[in-house]
Amino acid sequence: MIRFFKVILKNIIQGPSTIKYPFEDSPAPEKLRGKIVHNADACVACHLCEYVCAGGAIKMQESEDHQGIDFVVWHDTCTFCGLCEYYCPTKAIHLTNDYHTAHVQADKYNYVEKTFVKKQPCICCGEPMVPISPAMVEQIYGQEGDIRGLSKMCPQCRRKILWKGGVSKS
Amino acid sequence: MAEFLQSIVKRSPWIYRINAGSCNGCDVEMATTALIPRYDVERLGCRYCGSPKHADIVLISGPVTAVVREKVLRVYDEIPNPKVVVAVGICPISGGVFRESYSIASQLDAYIPVDVNVPGCPPRPQAIIDGIAMAIEIWRKKF
Ligand code: SF4
Ligand code: SF4
Ligand code: SF4
Repeated sequence: MIRFFKVILKNIIQGPSTIKYPFEDSPAPEKLRGKIVHNADACVACHLCEYVCAGGAIKMQESEDHQGIDFVVWHDTCTFCGLCEYYCPTKAIHLTNDYHTAHVQADKYNYVEKTFVKKQPCICCGEPMVPISPAMVEQIYGQEGDIRGLSKMCPQCRRKILWKGGVSKS
Repeated sequence: MAEFLQSIVKRSPWIYRINAGSCNGCDVEMATTALIPRYDVERLGCRYCGSPKHADIVLISGPVTAVVREKVLRVYDEIPNPKVVVAVGICPISGGVFRESYSIASQLDAYIPVDVNVPGCPPRPQAIIDGIAMAIEIWRKKF
């Protein structure tokens, strides 16, 4: 009997457990996997995310003017599994904790994250290529950075330089 | 009399739920929004009901498999007009992970006019509440 009153008293003090959403904001945990953002500056267009995507939500296509790559994530077929972020070498693709995904039918095919990964001319031959982002340079070369400017060259020129100069720096 | 009834009925749409071959993930989340005091979707003035004949808003989950398609359409036809359709989860919206599977011909909006989409696999209960709130707005305008 005493226990019974204790529970009632506790519940009266605590108040209702119902959250007031949507009349009030309901904060999401930091690690919740919600809508995706893509940082085109950090992306090296390696297509890994497109390859591992469980829902087939990512599409990367060369733009019509060949000046870059159109990167599209369609939220309406994304499972929010986080595989893309896990495998992305530069963490250019990221799942935010924004869960407000409801939208009207008219927006169905516009419910996307769309970015443009711009190409730059290779410093040797001028061929447009996706530059290696600073995040990737640090991963490859460590703190000292890319001292030979290899990250601004297209794969062909890079291969030639490496063949001439040898691979080892020591 | 009819006008008076219409004016009061506008305040409380009834909700019906169809499982069109879903994996049950979305259904669990929908049950969560209705049954768990933390979310309690009936605060918005709506109510889950057990018969399509009483329903105003219909929540559909699942990728509309070939086996279940005819049944879904039959139940959908029993819902009186005006009705609002909410597609819950990525399955009915685009086919999701089951897209291009042998048992799925097309997504939901090829058969039924959809009004609101709530993507997620499954969506968060709060996102479903958002979707229902949108559906109630649309339903009031349809009167
Ligand atoms: S979260 Fe999963 S389904 Fe969504 S884009 Fe990333 S890999 Fe694809
Ligand atoms: S987002 Fe990441 S995984 Fe996807 S192409 Fe860019 S760098 Fe590669
Ligand atoms: S959207 Fe995901 S959780 Fe919902 S029914 Fe489809 S597979 Fe299951």
